[in-house]
Amino acid sequence: MSAKRTIDVGPVALLETIQHQGKEWDVIAPRYGVTNPNPPWKTSLVGMCECLAVGGALPALERRNAEDALGDSIYRDVPAPERDLLALAHILLRRGLVTESDLAERMETVRSRLQAA
Amino acid sequence: MSGAHKPGQQHNHSHEPAHGHGAHKAAPMVEEITDYEVLEIAVRELAIEHGLFTAEDHRKFTEWAESVGPAAGSRLVAKAWTDPAFKARLLKDGTEACKEVGIDWAEPTGFGTPSDYTNFRVLEDTPTLHHVIVCTLCSCYPRPLLGMSPEWYRSTNYRRRLVRWPREVLAEFGLILPPEVEIRIEDSNQKCRFMVMPERPQGTDNWSEQQLAAIVTRDCMIGVALPKPGRTADIHPVHKARRPVGSAAQHAGAAE
Repeated sequence: MSAKRTIDVGPVALLETIQHQGKEWDVIAPRYGVTNPNPPWKTSLVGMCECLAVGGALPALERRNAEDALGDSIYRDVPAPERDLLALAHILLRRGLVTESDLAERMETVRSRLQAA
Repeated sequence: MSGAHKPGQQHNHSHEPAHGHGAHKAAPMVEEITDYEVLEIAVRELAIEHGLFTAEDHRKFTEWAESVGPAAGSRLVAKAWTDPAFKARLLKDGTEACKEVGIDWAEPTGFGTPSDYTNFRVLEDTPTLHHVIVCTLCSCYPRPLLGMSPEWYRSTNYRRRLVRWPREVLAEFGLILPPEVEIRIEDSNQKCRFMVMPERPQGTDNWSEQQLAAIVTRDCMIGVALPKPGRTADIHPVHKARRPVGSAAQHAGAAE
């Protein structure tokens, strides 16, 4: 049963770099006087998880089990929703739905696009 | 675009008074791009390109997630409190009765159900019985009625401890129940969702449905709070420290 599938909780270099930057929303939002409790990308992340579950690519129960395993280990010190985002990326990478090199490359592209404004 | 306004630039409109913008001050915003923001976009774009879902589906589910809140659940409870016949129908078949307030559990989003829940049950509290809902397995929650679940509902702390130590966990929410009240925990799952119908509190006679709905907050329908007049928001208690930290001088003295 897919929900029983275990997740490899070994670190992913790309995600490990992100989690150690100290850029979680609850850290940076107060610096700018922003009181919204959630980062603007949070509902998009929820929508993404729903789409993956409905489409069958990543059933909700399998994701939750993997989130628990990752949240109890390598992402233990990361608050939500950043922890959920790292976990989702981790799961997609471990399942081979996305490769680490593709993700790193796409992040560069996205970052350039956002900084070009 | 040479005329684009950049963050931090000052407007200098000579016609400001006519627009009435003189006193307007933009709300603060985070002025940096973090790797988390970049990661979310990158993962989503790759998932769409790999055919895991479509951009259209993502927009619809995100829009739905942003739009749902606990208001429908509050209305449902208020209606049941004031309409005994509706209450009977609701307790008998929650899924069917929800249609009377515009919630169809088979199609909550109007474009496909996000999780294949098909059965919804309302748990009625009594003077000697109090219900609380949880999903020990993952994060099942009656979203069409209560919106997105709070972070703590999805935490392993809540999910693991509530079933073992219900009174202690409820006390952490500021809800201390007398020993004679039985606490029943209902474990949600993918096929069945629950919601608590608390007792109508005293002091609400002759209240309208709208007034009643205002005190039926999300936490009341999860079961970690009780409705009462004047309580219209889920603010978790912050207790004053019984042993407050003293002055630096006291510390210095204590350390000597």
